Amino acid sequence: MKNYLGLAIRRKWHYAYMFIAPIIVLFGIFRIYPAVQTLLFSFFSINIVSKEYKPVGLKNFLLLLEDNTFLRSIENTLIYTVYIVMLSAFLGMVLASLFNSKFAFKKVFRAVYFVPFITSTVAAAVVWSYLYDPKFGLFNMLLRLVGLPTRGWIASSHDALASIIIFSIWKTLGYNMVIFIAGLQGIPDAFYEAAIIDGAGPLAKFFRITVPLLSPTIVFIVIYNTIVALKVFDQVFVLTAGGPADASTVVVLQIYKQAFENYRFGYASAMAFVLFVFVILITIAQYRVSRKWEVQI
Amino acid sequence: MRRMVIISLLLFVVLAPGFSTGVQEKKAGPVTLTLWYPAGEITQTTRAYRDIPNLFAAFEAANNCKIELVAVDYDTMQQKILTAMAGGQVPDIGHISTTWMGGFLKDKGLYQVPEADAKAWMAVVTPEIQALSDFGGGKMYGYPNWGIDIYGLFWNKDMFKEAGLNPEAAPKYWADFRDTSKKTSVTNPDGTLKRVGYAIRHLGHPHGIVDKWHWLLEGTGMKFISDYNLLKGGSCSFNQPNARAGLQMAYDMVYKDKSTSLEFPDPRDCLLKGLASMQISETISIQVRAPKEAPNLNWGLAAPPAMKEGTKPACSVAGWCTSVFAQSKNINLAYRAIKWYNGKENDYAQAKQFMVTPRYTENWAKEPFSTDPYIKQFKALLPYARVYPRSLALNGIMTSIGTAVQKILHNELGVEAALVEAENTANAAIKALE
Repeated sequence: MKNYLGLAIRRKWHYAYMFIAPIIVLFGIFRIYPAVQTLLFSFFSINIVSKEYKPVGLKNFLLLLEDNTFLRSIENTLIYTVYIVMLSAFLGMVLASLFNSKFAFKKVFRAVYFVPFITSTVAAAVVWSYLYDPKFGLFNMLLRLVGLPTRGWIASSHDALASIIIFSIWKTLGYNMVIFIAGLQGIPDAFYEAAIIDGAGPLAKFFRITVPLLSPTIVFIVIYNTIVALKVFDQVFVLTAGGPADASTVVVLQIYKQAFENYRFGYASAMAFVLFVFVILITIAQYRVSRKWEVQI
Repeated sequence: MRRMVIISLLLFVVLAPGFSTGVQEKKAGPVTLTLWYPAGEITQTTRAYRDIPNLFAAFEAANNCKIELVAVDYDTMQQKILTAMAGGQVPDIGHISTTWMGGFLKDKGLYQVPEADAKAWMAVVTPEIQALSDFGGGKMYGYPNWGIDIYGLFWNKDMFKEAGLNPEAAPKYWADFRDTSKKTSVTNPDGTLKRVGYAIRHLGHPHGIVDKWHWLLEGTGMKFISDYNLLKGGSCSFNQPNARAGLQMAYDMVYKDKSTSLEFPDPRDCLLKGLASMQISETISIQVRAPKEAPNLNWGLAAPPAMKEGTKPACSVAGWCTSVFAQSKNINLAYRAIKWYNGKENDYAQAKQFMVTPRYTENWAKEPFSTDPYIKQFKALLPYARVYPRSLALNGIMTSIGTAVQKILHNELGVEAALVEAENTANAAIKALE
């Protein structure tokens, strides 16, 4: 410890720590402290106004196992996550490959695909709720025009989750595309030139060169999209409020309802903690699996 | 190192005032009370705050105070109040839904109206206002506002006539209601519905679904909870033969009769746009919207259909309440303000201005309330008025029933299974608050 301190002072590390101290403090106050507090709250029954805390042990967690709506929300959240990660990442990679080549108005198209990402989720969801209207919405109007049967979209318990997934893919595609473009531009042309010389076609180049060398980017995209997808809330709240009939309810929405509609803060904290554990475990698992096939240039 | 310490101290001295908590020195002068009310046109009862300038002027002058009116987004107002209560920053007065009050009472968040005032109020207002005011044993936690809303059956008289039905008579019982829905629905050549007979609510917040189906649920004799006056405790029993029959009828109207559909908009929109011949909803909403959105609509208003001969219709009564929050730093002044605001003279003047129902029995006897045709129609529904239970678990109870109705209509669960699930969830919600 003394050696470390001596080294730190000689190398003036204290200046560096002073500069990052504010953000560390803020991170501790607004991230670490609430997370720890949530974990503690999950073992209590709480009256948030009168500040009464009644310890209940593991009761909140045991109640979660009997809560069919919460279990349904976990199922929906996992289904949503799998589809979003797979489709949004895959389509992002395809678009990035297309936009990595030269063609007219490339920048305009790139901007068009990126704009949904910077649009307010709530505002976009409100607009899409009109597009999804089964009677007067644009989507059903187009389906009728081409002679296809109409869908219930967000008004149908069978289509509600799929409708949210479609919206979310539209929303996140641009971001994934941009990250993949950055990754693609980091791959030296020499590899492609060598492949051309060896007679590789476009598909071979894509699967044998692009995908392996893009693996660090793919890992990042998969992990990032997974974390974001597991915490989905805004579009579900606006488009369907978790309905109809809990068909599109997700974990964060259940946390919100239990805390702010049913006033069960301890129970909601238990849900939040379960979600936190889910996110950590899935992220660690993904990271470990992806390290095995990651290729570094 | 010394230089860094000096620079840090100087920065602190310069920047520290900017990080002050914003607590201002108490200025001498009138006390300011804040009143939160829901923004927009979610309820007609807030029109006074928007449309009457200097609404509280007389009270402010007499009490050397100022009342600041703050419009709050309705969708998150309940949560904002709860958060404000948790943070100790609650407003003095709230214009709140009576269905929210249980949740605030759970946290001892509302000031109880003094017993003597409560007795005096109950003695001079109409029975449905008494029911809305009473939180068990005559206790009051605020004053229900004028312009309470009641659910009624609206029908399009022209569509009835077109279908060969008496345009002046609404269906009285479920059997003819179902029959009327079949006769007045219109299908396209491809078999899809062009116009539904009865427009239904099946989307959105479960509470809203319970509101729209209340006529059927309570019309079967089903009770939301064993004792409507209990704040805690009680039990729910939804899986009753009549409740099953009623919800089965609703399901059959969608899938067997095909006289209604899940693909049509909100029931009120349907009626106003000519997409439905009947709908059951809040009466004030149609009264206000019809002249603007459907000036040619020839509509009738009656009580929703009763289950069968010998039974009575059920009309849900919803109300808003002016209440004082228990954490208010000016409780006595705030209470005097709401007592003044809900006095007889204000009740008459505002109900007359906005052509809605007053609360005092004496005001009902005055013009225009005694002769106005709409008010008379409204009054005809009042004998069937039903208020929601006072239970602190009302949120959980309504969510469970609303979700059950959704699951039945969306083919997620059968009628009995849905009601059993709702019963278990509602009872769990009650138990969680004991």
